[in-house]
Amino acid sequence: MLLEVIFYAFASVLICASLGVILFKNPVYSAVSLILAFITTGLLWLLLEAEFLAIVLVLVYVGAVMVLFLFVIMMLNIHAEEERSGFTNIAPIAIFLGLVVAAELIALYWIQSDQFSGLESISNSALSVDNTLLLGTELFTKYILSFEIAGFILLLAIIVSISLTLRARKNVKKQVARDQISADPKQRLRMVDIKRGLD
Amino acid sequence: MLTLQSYLTLSAIIFSIGITGIVINRKNIIIVMMCTELLLISVNFNFIAFSHFLQDLSGQVFVFFILTVAAAEAAIGLAILVALYRNKKSISVGELNKLRN
Repeated sequence: MLLEVIFYAFASVLICASLGVILFKNPVYSAVSLILAFITTGLLWLLLEAEFLAIVLVLVYVGAVMVLFLFVIMMLNIHAEEERSGFTNIAPIAIFLGLVVAAELIALYWIQSDQFSGLESISNSALSVDNTLLLGTELFTKYILSFEIAGFILLLAIIVSISLTLRARKNVKKQVARDQISADPKQRLRMVDIKRGLD
Repeated sequence: MLTLQSYLTLSAIIFSIGITGIVINRKNIIIVMMCTELLLISVNFNFIAFSHFLQDLSGQVFVFFILTVAAAEAAIGLAILVALYRNKKSISVGELNKLRN
């Protein structure tokens, strides 16, 4: 009974927060609302006993990705009011599309409900199994190649995002190794005949 | 009694909110990227719910990789956004038609 109360409370908070993401006029409010949605999702994952991923979600998304979003919003200096013109003429189509998607998915789940009937929520805590240990064992044995590729993708993301935003400023006195190596003595050194002074 | 369908229904609602947000927002790419994060989180929700109810850990491993790729995607997307804003002084979706024709 307690689990149901927690689930429905957090589910309504999650739905309200994600509605806030798309309805707030100011992008900063949208970002803060998305942070709330992530934290609530993490708490719901705790109900599903995915403890490690719940903590990772809060750490990575709230701690890193959303801070990045907020920094970019702060840097870009967007005017919230004028950016949202043209909101009303597309809104009916968008709401219709969203309702159709939701209706299709939910109808699919409830029509096929006899396939889910045998599945029950089995608590891992009764079996005293460590979620992090199990996930780590799985990750470092069966999925080790995918794990390495994931690390490589993160390295790729670092390189790409730095090289996209790197800006070469002019009028800065800095060392350019390429020019130094390709320097030619003929351009640097000029032999001048100095006339002898008065005899 | 919390069944698998409760979690799947919640995830479907979040997914449709994300799709609505992508369509409704034609003026601000940042909001579109946030809605993409909402879509990813609802898909991850499905994976976790199935992983719990089927007692199979592969779903959680998959969510781990999706989180990795989503973080990389957000970083690269925001970098593209910053580069775009420097060149065009705007992040409106409607004005990004430089590749048209």
